[in-house]
Amino acid sequence: MTGEAPNTVVHEDIALKTDAKMTARDVSVFYGSNQAVKNISIDVDSNYVTAFIGPSGCGKSTFLRCFNRMNDTIDVARVTGDIDLDGEDIYKSSMDVVQLRARVGMVFQKPNPFPKSIYENIAYGPRIHGLSDNKTDLDKIVETSLRRAGLWEEVKDRLDEGGTALSGGQQQRLCIARAIAVDPEVILMDEPCSALDPIATAKIEELIDDLQGRYAIVIVTHNMQQAARVSQRTAFFHLGHLVEYGPTEEIFTNPRADRTRDYITGRFG
Amino acid sequence: MALPTAPTTGHTVKSFDEDLRALRSMIARMGGLARKQLDDATEALLSSDVEAAEAIIRKDRDLDEMEMEAEAYAISIIARRAPLAGDLREVIAALKIGSIIERVGDYAKNNARRTSVLAGQISRDVHPGIAEIARMASQLFDDALTAFAQRDPFLSLEVCDGDEAIDDYYESLFQALLTQIAEDSTRTASATHFIFIIKNLERVGDHATNIAEMVHYSATGEHISERPKGGDATEISLPL
Repeated sequence: MTGEAPNTVVHEDIALKTDAKMTARDVSVFYGSNQAVKNISIDVDSNYVTAFIGPSGCGKSTFLRCFNRMNDTIDVARVTGDIDLDGEDIYKSSMDVVQLRARVGMVFQKPNPFPKSIYENIAYGPRIHGLSDNKTDLDKIVETSLRRAGLWEEVKDRLDEGGTALSGGQQQRLCIARAIAVDPEVILMDEPCSALDPIATAKIEELIDDLQGRYAIVIVTHNMQQAARVSQRTAFFHLGHLVEYGPTEEIFTNPRADRTRDYITGRFG
Repeated sequence: MALPTAPTTGHTVKSFDEDLRALRSMIARMGGLARKQLDDATEALLSSDVEAAEAIIRKDRDLDEMEMEAEAYAISIIARRAPLAGDLREVIAALKIGSIIERVGDYAKNNARRTSVLAGQISRDVHPGIAEIARMASQLFDDALTAFAQRDPFLSLEVCDGDEAIDDYYESLFQALLTQIAEDSTRTASATHFIFIIKNLERVGDHATNIAEMVHYSATGEHISERPKGGDATEISLPL
């Protein structure tokens, strides 16, 4: 295993397009002088769940955070290259970052509900984004979002209880419902199940299946079986490079790059 | 297409390597026994050795047991290791090849079963033909097992090509046996047995091809574009 720059292997049938929901071209991320992400180009499409896999420190989470400018919050981080949402450069100076993060929502590794009621967790976003100005509409958004997140039946009778009182799996679905509530186009998930037990994980995976097609979804995961189960596209990262990007089935049955093969079969390092 | 290189390092979890090695060796042992059964069955038949034939029939149970063991082992690897990429292909190939080998054992057994009714009836006109198609089938089967042992996709392609010669030879033998029946109806029963015997051997050739196809898939991730398996003899009719 060497550190030299590999050529990215992109499987023919998913060649880069210009009309994908989000396009990243030659994206690099620097933390000070350290380059964490190296000239990556990839598409995120509405019809697919895209999985980012790779060992710790490979740059996959850093790269994910470029898609809604979460790296802006880190002072030393610098992003170069182009990322477009519907053809619009999300790094241009006139981009409203708050609005961007509503369109490109994010779910984190550790569920992070607001220390407010279940209802308020969902209603907060639509209210500040002006998606709803009356209680009836807001009630409807809360119900729809919780239904889509598969949580409604479990919480409909206790919407006034605190979101943090829910179980870990329920909290994570609450966070997904919260992301959905502002009517996003893309949902980024950064290891959304790594703190959950297998049952809660299965519920999130089922939810991802349900959401697929309605939103473009990108999921970073360390669990290869999970990537194989939930995604249709898989990108393998190593040492800041995108090593291989292809249909999930091909990546897991017949990867083309030696590094991908060594990683997914457990022969790494 | 460039062939993928084989992994140069073992698994981080070393017992995973052990599991795959053990599975391979189970399949290799099965292959060795099936080949012996096949050769012994031909030998018993051609020398009218009924006792040897019965031993072959009994021995087939060993193959059945070995197949069940290999299958259980493959399933346990899938359950415990969740293999992916080349590892996954290898386990799946081993599962399928195990059942193909068991099938080849069944053909050997079936030919052995015909030994007692045919004892003393292996006339000089059928002996060389049966000996030859048996040799061809056994050789191709052995090549397929070698391809498996060496994970050799190129040898796999040769095995697939080699099956055609067996199909052609089978069809000419089939034609000859039909002619024999037409000319001398007292030989109908024995000739019919011979037709089943050569059909079994022709099928061994097809199964050698099936093994080679799985080896190729396991080694490369690509399926060999399938050649129609001949030896149907569907075009052959009685001579007028």
